Amino acid sequence: MSDPQDESGRNADAEGVKADAPLGIDPKLLEILVCPLTKATLEYDAGKQELISKQARLAYPIRDGIPIMLPEEARQLPD
Amino acid sequence: MAVAYDLEGQKRAYKRWAPYYDRVYHKLLADAHSKTALAAAKVGPDILEIGVGTGLVLPWYPDGTRVIGVDLSFHMLERARDKMLSGAAPQTRLVAAMDACRLGFADESFDAVTVPFVIPLVPDPEGALDEAMRVLKPGGEIVISSKLGYDKGAKAKVEEWVAPLMKKVGWSSAFRIERIKAWAEARGDVEVAEIAPLFPVGWFKLMRLVKRK
Repeated sequence: MSDPQDESGRNADAEGVKADAPLGIDPKLLEILVCPLTKATLEYDAGKQELISKQARLAYPIRDGIPIMLPEEARQLPD
Repeated sequence: MAVAYDLEGQKRAYKRWAPYYDRVYHKLLADAHSKTALAAAKVGPDILEIGVGTGLVLPWYPDGTRVIGVDLSFHMLERARDKMLSGAAPQTRLVAAMDACRLGFADESFDAVTVPFVIPLVPDPEGALDEAMRVLKPGGEIVISSKLGYDKGAKAKVEEWVAPLMKKVGWSSAFRIERIKAWAEARGDVEVAEIAPLFPVGWFKLMRLVKRK
């Protein structure tokens, strides 16, 4: 993992804010998504391109700009 | 043996159909697609499309709408996303992989939920409709366009004629209007507002279900 400060600095220099955004998605749009199991709000991890459901202990991946909101395809988080 | 024969017959039919497939498919569904999109847009700007597939309906949503499409298949969604990014579907904001029975949206998020040609494919259609009701705002509408009718006489003939196409896209089982009506009646908070024919007449239908305020 790289230093987050360093990473955000590089992104800002290279392509501005967009470098952090998943392909074609405004991160604000992701706020409309909730966990399909618990219906609770999600945390967006821009670095890993994942949406974290704390209660369900699941990380839903965003692949090529497409959030995969399927529990069976989500990454299990350690307790 | 019989199965092998059937498969061969289908292969031949597809081979014969292939050069015309896109044109026929597009023409056949254009009326259904546009009317589905416009019926949803009449209700309000925030629209969810369930079973968005490759995004065939997406270009039909009019200016001023904000559309999100979901489907189970990532590979189909990649094509829908390409339409979104290329500007072919300017009203589409997001496509995501989701199970129609377990949507990742908060309650009362949308003015309309469109269900184009999906209902017969969902293993638990009532569950999917219940989930659509949950994400719908009060007064919002579910717009279903599908082969919602009966299979008799001339209509059955047409279906037979297009059978290879139908099988390919998975419309082999009709989803009966009665079943949706029964579901609506059992819930009590949703009203069947309209059942309108789509081209080709009497074969595809558009159904509007209104969530009571």
